[in-house]
Amino acid sequence: MHKQTLVEKILLKKNGAPVLPESEYFQVPVDLVLGHDATIALLIARFRKMGFKIWDPSRCFFAADHFAPPSTPERADILSQFLIFVKDQSVPQDLLFKGISHQLLVEDQRCRPGMFICGADSHTVMAGALGAFAIGLGSTDILAVLLTGKAILPIPETIRVNFEGRLPNWLYGKDLALEIIRQVGEGGAVDRVFEYHDSQSQLPMDGRLTISNMSVEAGATAGIFVPDKILREYLETRDSSSPSEDGFLLPDRGAQYCQELSICLDKIPPLVALPGGLTRIVPAGDTKGQTVDQVYIGSCAGGRLEDLEITARLLKGRKVAPGVRLVVTPASQKIYAECLANGIFQTLTDSGAMITNSSCGACGGIDKGLIGAKEVCVSTSNRNFRGRMGSPDGLIFLSSPYTAAAAALTGHLGDPRDVFYDSGAAR
Amino acid sequence: MKIEGQALAMGNNVNTDELHPSRFFSLDDGNVRAGFLQAARNYEKIGSSDISGRIILAGDNFGCGSSRETGARAFLLAGINAIVARSMARIFSRNIRNLGLPAFECPSLPTALEDQTAVRIDLEKWTVELGPERTSYPLRPLDPFWKAVLAAGGLMPFLGFKETSTEQRS
Repeated sequence: MHKQTLVEKILLKKNGAPVLPESEYFQVPVDLVLGHDATIALLIARFRKMGFKIWDPSRCFFAADHFAPPSTPERADILSQFLIFVKDQSVPQDLLFKGISHQLLVEDQRCRPGMFICGADSHTVMAGALGAFAIGLGSTDILAVLLTGKAILPIPETIRVNFEGRLPNWLYGKDLALEIIRQVGEGGAVDRVFEYHDSQSQLPMDGRLTISNMSVEAGATAGIFVPDKILREYLETRDSSSPSEDGFLLPDRGAQYCQELSICLDKIPPLVALPGGLTRIVPAGDTKGQTVDQVYIGSCAGGRLEDLEITARLLKGRKVAPGVRLVVTPASQKIYAECLANGIFQTLTDSGAMITNSSCGACGGIDKGLIGAKEVCVSTSNRNFRGRMGSPDGLIFLSSPYTAAAAALTGHLGDPRDVFYDSGAAR
Repeated sequence: MKIEGQALAMGNNVNTDELHPSRFFSLDDGNVRAGFLQAARNYEKIGSSDISGRIILAGDNFGCGSSRETGARAFLLAGINAIVARSMARIFSRNIRNLGLPAFECPSLPTALEDQTAVRIDLEKWTVELGPERTSYPLRPLDPFWKAVLAAGGLMPFLGFKETSTEQRS
């Protein structure tokens, strides 16, 4: 019998039928559809013209996170059309204005291992950290899913990624994501899936979410962690009950992989992606002396509790470098509330940080923390593309929160271990 | 069937934010068109000019990044005839084909691509021919599904949905 990878196992259970004879594309039933105000708005007019209802509104997981709240009248109009559509189609409204859709998805009991999840956003892949096969699609593909309940796709090849060695306390999910992209190249995983094996169960869930999130930056269709005790504990805490074992699928021993990568945790320094795409990823030490105008702690890749916690711990009793703006955007209201309750916001505010509401914020150049020409931003987000956070002539460096906190404190980039050598354990 | 036009040549790893920056995200076609190529270095002017009928020739991993379909729609609104790239990002190539715009991969496409060169895509021979000497390069095979989507003019017509009715069906 054919030995199956994790994604093959999930997809074959769904019993999709080939879309055409001779085609390698299957019509696969979808468990959940993620959407948000920006990309769902793009399909509303066409959806209405077709005159059907959504196949199953209860499977729609729609958030308002891009224009939340809106920063221009046009965006207010787009948001308003989205809100009317959600209501008209009887889609659950409990997620609106609660934070970034991808973070809300993994915080929600509706999202479970073994599911096939499609989202109208490339970072939908983040739910792979929960052992789901989660993929991003454009608005026309999502329009078809909303009408038919099925997505059309091939069964992808898989790249197996093995995390080996011991995780140092200054190394974060962002560093590992950058190392994986550095090894395979910016488009090196197109049409393929990363299957992540953390055989010693060392990587905390927040870091895994960042790794799965950034799988798409290597071009991957998805990035899925093999379910283990860290996932089980996460679900137990999240759902206040023992998780069902149904979705805890494992790849077969002897499954076929098109490529295998070894990520040696004890050999990777803190990494930084240089501006203009993910083709130049270097040790943070190589950027020593690069001055910084803004530090952004936020987005679905870098606005989680771990990111804010480490920033606060490193800045406690210290001040952000004069003239540097530190913008902090928690990825969800749940994280926001935790930071209010446990003093993280007080520490960050005392150090000079500016805290914004939970939304996509500056990451996609939407609002609150855009950069001007020749300005330099160090960001914990996932993309450093030209013009993404404002002026096309601004520069975006990507790093872990540890490296970003060091930049906020000193006003320049460099190896954070040189700055925090006296801080003891970072994590 | 043949698709012909002058090349608009682009490089490797051209991402969606360069092709169509998010500040042009809009439901208005005029605004979407205005954003075409507005963060691609040295392409801002050509993006704003009349480039209808051109064929994009690009390097590897064309269209990497976001799923925002405004980026793909901008190609249609600018009147781009087709895209030929050495390789394309998954979501972007789906978006382009779903909207009915022909997009092909050609792994042997030369690395030094010349702007304005004559391009001819021959769908019988499944090749792309470049320049006056018509140097021919094979296109990567396309799954029957995508061929059918292109023949239908996009994903929704392929699936049999028509954007005409205004009545609610059940």
